[in-house]
Amino acid sequence: MSDTLLTNLHVKYIQNLGKNKDDLTYHMTAHLRMNAVYWGVTALCIMKHKDALDAEETIEYVMSCWDDEAGAFGAHPGHDAHILSTLSAIQVLATHDALARIDAPRVIDFVLGLQQPSGVFAGDAFGETDTRFLYCAVSALSLLGALDRLDRARTVAYLAACRNFDGGFGRVAGAESHAAQVWVCTAALAILDRLDVIDVSTLGWWLAERQLPNGGLNGRPEKLEDVCYSYWVLSSMAILNKLTWIDATALTRFILSAQDPDGGGIADRPGDMVDVFHTLFGVAGLSLLGYPGLDDLDPVYCMPASLIERLGLKKGWKALPRREA
Amino acid sequence: HGVRRTRDTQQALAAKRERDKAKLSAYLVLTDDILIRACTLSLLHNLFTRTFKKNKDWSREAFGLTTQLLSTHTDVINPEFYTIWNYRRNILLQRYLSGKVCHPPHISIIRSPFILRSSPDEIHEVLDNDLAMTTKLLKVHPKVYWIWNHRRWCLEHIPEGPNSANAQAWRLSTWERELFIVEKMLEADSRNFLAWDYRRYVVASMPARRSDKAELAYTTKKIEANFSNFSAWHQRTKVISSLWASGETDKASSLQKEFALVQNAMFTLPEDQSAWLYHRWLIGSGDDKVILEREIEVVQTLLAEQPDSKWCMDSLVTYKLLLLNNHLHVGSQESINVTKQCLALLAQLEEIDPMRRQRYHDIG
Repeated sequence: MSDTLLTNLHVKYIQNLGKNKDDLTYHMTAHLRMNAVYWGVTALCIMKHKDALDAEETIEYVMSCWDDEAGAFGAHPGHDAHILSTLSAIQVLATHDALARIDAPRVIDFVLGLQQPSGVFAGDAFGETDTRFLYCAVSALSLLGALDRLDRARTVAYLAACRNFDGGFGRVAGAESHAAQVWVCTAALAILDRLDVIDVSTLGWWLAERQLPNGGLNGRPEKLEDVCYSYWVLSSMAILNKLTWIDATALTRFILSAQDPDGGGIADRPGDMVDVFHTLFGVAGLSLLGYPGLDDLDPVYCMPASLIERLGLKKGWKALPRREA
Repeated sequence: HGVRRTRDTQQALAAKRERDKAKLSAYLVLTDDILIRACTLSLLHNLFTRTFKKNKDWSREAFGLTTQLLSTHTDVINPEFYTIWNYRRNILLQRYLSGKVCHPPHISIIRSPFILRSSPDEIHEVLDNDLAMTTKLLKVHPKVYWIWNHRRWCLEHIPEGPNSANAQAWRLSTWERELFIVEKMLEADSRNFLAWDYRRYVVASMPARRSDKAELAYTTKKIEANFSNFSAWHQRTKVISSLWASGETDKASSLQKEFALVQNAMFTLPEDQSAWLYHRWLIGSGDDKVILEREIEVVQTLLAEQPDSKWCMDSLVTYKLLLLNNHLHVGSQESINVTKQCLALLAQLEEIDPMRRQRYHDIG
């Protein structure tokens, strides 16, 4: 049980990912490899160890996932383009100042072509729709400087249609509120300067009620706590300037207790297997909570705050002040 | 998510490696006769993406390979390998449906009418097989988006029957079966939001449309089975709103029934947030003073029985504030009293729910 962030162990954990190509798990997760690279790179940035992974190697890997038929990125070389992996690719390249390597016009066309008449976005040509994909589109266009090409009215109208009785948002219009969907909708509205769509006091309340007696956060009523909700819920609250409505000390303790003190990495809850997804979101949550020694994270983009500021994309949001070590 | 970590000893690790190797070997034996010699799973996946997919092999063999990679060999299948689902659909399109292969971003292809390459019988059979395949997979992987999506795609491509007298027969029976299947999924896990989303999709798309009232009855059933079923309460808000909007149900009398239902839940399970959230939604902006005051009374009664109930206190604060802002005159004795009551409740809330202390303070 640890009461401090085991930064060096987590850095090593991330460095070792992808080294063990004989591991069955490695191959079983090829369909989200691009996302995993983004999670790993971003976690390293927050922990101030950006150089722990070789930049050029990372960039080469990202570019090897280019799907030239579609004009966008897949999860792994040879995998079909999808909006999820496309955003992750853009995020990784932006983090390494390599956005120029992207064939931006083609990617922009790919993204815009996925918008449906209702305003929601599909993930790829096979048409699954989800507000996650809407967020990916808005964030991607924003990072590529092409937000002006988006049909804002239609996009915002769809987000409004996803708003539920509890102030939260679901994955499609009519769907139940879920913290991850709350984040993608809130962040998308932040990028589009339309936070007015949100009933802040009701949603703030719903988000605050995600905190359980053990200090962890769940994703919706009557569900278990999970470290990744430390990100989805916290970042939403940071955007709405309601981060003080949860107990930061209890949550910090919970996140730290989900670390693996032997091999590094963070799990969904104490005692479970770690993975890079929960490692990023645990560290991201700690950063928003002002944990000492970490870099600031932009909760709208889930990328280093300094980078987003440099790109001129910073929106109004409030994290807890960074504590001294 | 949710996988326990074990302190792996060297022995245990070695044993795991052997087991994984065995799985890989068994997997590879199966694929041996499909022209693939692979010594690792990565080679197999690479061969899929770089050979079959690159050469646009739409053969039966290729189709069979996707079946194995997605579902047959339960030890090593990966139903989340979305590229393989895409490929499978493209084979179906190429061999049976339009002959047009789907490339992003031309989504219009899948939504526009398609030319039937095979007879309706053949198409129906092959899609029915895929539906059966996804049913099996969903039992083991009920939360994998890609499987639900493939199911939806199959449904949308079921053709009209060849019998002109009852051209819609296939579609009717297929969609009825969908409703049955999704109800089974919700019995297994009443909070599976992918299943609820799918249910909403089926109800909205069925050729024999289900009425809002029928759907309302379904949510009543789920709620009465478990007052804590937030997903069912959520569904109810959608269905009821639709009934009110269409005028099919008189809002005023319906509202009374809803308050009765939710009060039952509140008194039975006062610690469960679902009913309280629903109650708050029914109150809405608090325009109706009679309802507002009545419900404040109800919650007050419950608080007397459950003096430590945070939900009671929080709701009272919310409703009294609505009363204050909408119905009471500034500076009147009543408004002063209500304000004092709210502040007292907020102070109590800070005590019993210290995690959310700042919120109560902010409201104060």
